Amino acid sequence: MVPILMWILFCGRSSLLYGQDFLNRYSDRVMIRFEKSPAFVTILYGVIIYSIVTLIVLLIIILLNRNRLIRESKQRFYLNEVYQLKLMDYIFEEEKRDEALQDLKQIASNRFSRQLLIDQMIDLSINLKGEIKETIRDLYLVLELKQDSLKKAYSKKWHENVKGFRELAYMNIREASERILESLNSSNEIVRMEAQIAMVGLSDENPYHFLHFMEKPLAVWEQITLHELLIQHDLKVPLFKQWFESENLSVVIFALEMASWFKQRGSGKAVIGLFEHESEEVRNAAYRVCGQIESKSSLPAMKKVYENESYANKLEILTTFGKVPDEKYLGFLKSVLDMEEDVQLQILATKAMENTDEPGISMLIKLMKSKSEYKNYQIIIRHVLDGRIY
Amino acid sequence: MEGAYNALKFFVLNAIFIITALIFTTYLILTVFSAISLRKYLRKNSYVDYNSIVSSPLAPSLSVIAPAYNESRTIVDNIRTLLSLYYNNYEVVVVNDGSTDDSMEKMIETYELEKVNYYFDYRLPCKRIRAVYKSQNRSFKKLTVIDKRNGGKADSLNAGLNVCKNDLVVSIDADSIMEPDALLKLVKPFMEAKDKKVIGAGGVIRIANSCEISGGHIVKVNLPRKFLPRAQVMEYTRAFLMGRMAWSELDGLLLISGALGMFDREIVIASGGYHTNTVGEDMELVVRIRRYMVDHGLEYDVVYIPDPLCWTEVPTTIRVLARQRSRWTRGTLETLITHRKLFFNRKYGKLGMLGYPYWLMFEYLAPIVEFLGLLWFAFLAITGRLNWPFFLLLFGFVYFFAVSLSVWSVLFEEMTFHKYEKRRDVLRLIGTAFLEPIFYHPLVMLMSIKGNFDKIFGKNTWGAMDRKGFDNKKEDPKANT
Repeated sequence: MVPILMWILFCGRSSLLYGQDFLNRYSDRVMIRFEKSPAFVTILYGVIIYSIVTLIVLLIIILLNRNRLIRESKQRFYLNEVYQLKLMDYIFEEEKRDEALQDLKQIASNRFSRQLLIDQMIDLSINLKGEIKETIRDLYLVLELKQDSLKKAYSKKWHENVKGFRELAYMNIREASERILESLNSSNEIVRMEAQIAMVGLSDENPYHFLHFMEKPLAVWEQITLHELLIQHDLKVPLFKQWFESENLSVVIFALEMASWFKQRGSGKAVIGLFEHESEEVRNAAYRVCGQIESKSSLPAMKKVYENESYANKLEILTTFGKVPDEKYLGFLKSVLDMEEDVQLQILATKAMENTDEPGISMLIKLMKSKSEYKNYQIIIRHVLDGRIY
Repeated sequence: MEGAYNALKFFVLNAIFIITALIFTTYLILTVFSAISLRKYLRKNSYVDYNSIVSSPLAPSLSVIAPAYNESRTIVDNIRTLLSLYYNNYEVVVVNDGSTDDSMEKMIETYELEKVNYYFDYRLPCKRIRAVYKSQNRSFKKLTVIDKRNGGKADSLNAGLNVCKNDLVVSIDADSIMEPDALLKLVKPFMEAKDKKVIGAGGVIRIANSCEISGGHIVKVNLPRKFLPRAQVMEYTRAFLMGRMAWSELDGLLLISGALGMFDREIVIASGGYHTNTVGEDMELVVRIRRYMVDHGLEYDVVYIPDPLCWTEVPTTIRVLARQRSRWTRGTLETLITHRKLFFNRKYGKLGMLGYPYWLMFEYLAPIVEFLGLLWFAFLAITGRLNWPFFLLLFGFVYFFAVSLSVWSVLFEEMTFHKYEKRRDVLRLIGTAFLEPIFYHPLVMLMSIKGNFDKIFGKNTWGAMDRKGFDNKKEDPKANT
């Protein structure tokens, strides 16, 4: 840069004119060559020009984006600090409430700062319950942030809808329920899922009502989110056995898992009934749930179906026998150990025997001392009895 | 003679132009798909609370398998990182692949290991397992160490698969550093599966050279100071954020990096586990499990996520880089030969019609075509037949397009995860994009050609990867568990 400036300085205007003339002549030459050249060369020139223009544009975008990021990050840091202080004042200090409200109104004047405030309020309300949560909700309404969330819920962009649904559900605003209900049948999987979650948050009486009509499978991720909502929002826990006969297999599995999680022991009989279910996955979940709710009454039925079950389900049955230890089944478990060739099945059967305490352990020690022609019991039993293998 | 020369010239010029145009068009298409995929991913996950996975009883349990061979310098720290990952229900299985250094002794001493009576089945063939170790200290109850005879990385992974207990397995290089939330992000696609079973997931591998690392975690991200690793940063950014992201969107992903991948254990075992006769076991496994699913009429997905999940040290010398690239070329070739049945086979859908042909023509053959082009250029230059203006035009065409592609990938990185916080680093990365096609790319191309020769002459070894080790600070491993 410096040599060019020096050159301009010393050679003055005449050199500039010469430079301009040179550029004109050069560009004319290029244009003549370009017009006369075959298509092949034209394409090459085209791609070069495209690449250089793209490069310049990209460089500008990268630098502008970087500036924006730095600016936003500084702003975010500042606003988060201010919001935290003002929110605390509003919630906990009655005499400062009006002042905090005015300040918040003033600060949250543009879209970016209003969104940050909504996010902060939601973060706060997740960890709070009762009256304080209500105070935050009131503030949300007073500051008219509801309008922002509604705008998002009715936006044409799906990712904004999702954000809007979430905010409305957290703040318990039912004005967009119709819109959320519509979205339960959206072709966009994510919107559909978020609408379900929002409906759970917004329903008081039967938050999981929609499960009755659900046709699409419920992914594990959705199940996790729905389960978390139940706990977070302190919602009324329904009797999950009402969905055990659903035609949607994933709904049945979710209901089974929830029945187990909320220890709905009254569902035991219904769970045993699912041992006859045609879906291998449902049966698998049913066996697992019996173990989790420690249903002793399920053991005879499980013993009965064991032989004809799939490998994965056999594993689950034996795990349940381990969780609900009963010396009455030592004979059955010993026969499994004798018959099965698979290592995992042998280990689980032996573990189940060990879990019955004294009778099981003495049986295992006896087996260890005996020399079987068919099986090396020692190696299996040593593994199971080794307390270091968790 | 002159007629033959003209015919050859016509053919070579047209062939080079057509291939280059084809490659560039493909890259442009991939860039578009990658942008779509990235946008979708970011929008979808911008409000996701990964913490809900940690506290949920419904989240699947995982086994992390880390093969280690002569990793004495880094093994203790790396195990510490693995034990402090942010996930509730997982085990760590470290496989000592017959190390000749003191890796095993260090592990025994630091983690208070002792031999246990572990009973397992050789469901997948692997070299003899000498012993299985568990810690006496319950703080390390997640850890299992397998000591086996040397058999290579694939063999070690098979040993780990035989011993581990959980349905989903994570294969990781013991010398890599995982992000604390890597497991949460990797497991999510498996939990989102509805109609199709997710059988594999991979994420972005980043370069840790020059980064500040403490306690087995990346503390500060820096762009490598040396040109060679910096050029590899550029290459990785392009490959991961553009190539693989696009192939995931197109359902043609053929490779999940061996540095970090999550798989469905039963599918891996059912399809025969890791292939021990190849040096490209990571790519071979992905192709094989995909083939297995198609052959058995099962609906499936292989997913790729753009989050930076794992950091690894890349070669800093040409000698080590050459070894690595030779191995990659041999691995690619071996996989392509083993699974040649896929080539334009409609039965395998996009995998056969798009993924495989792309890897064959653009990933494997491109360096060869490029090398032939260089030879042709040298021939013309030496014989004085080179049309210099046209050569410069062609060079400008290739150069500027390549640089613009690289800068696209820098933009993607900036718009998504912007791991390089310093403005100077981003500018240096852009500068590298301008230098890379001239100073780095030809090197890599020659290394790939060497890989082909190595394959022809029967070289079948991994080649040592000299690691400097990440962490100089010695800390009590119990502090983080």
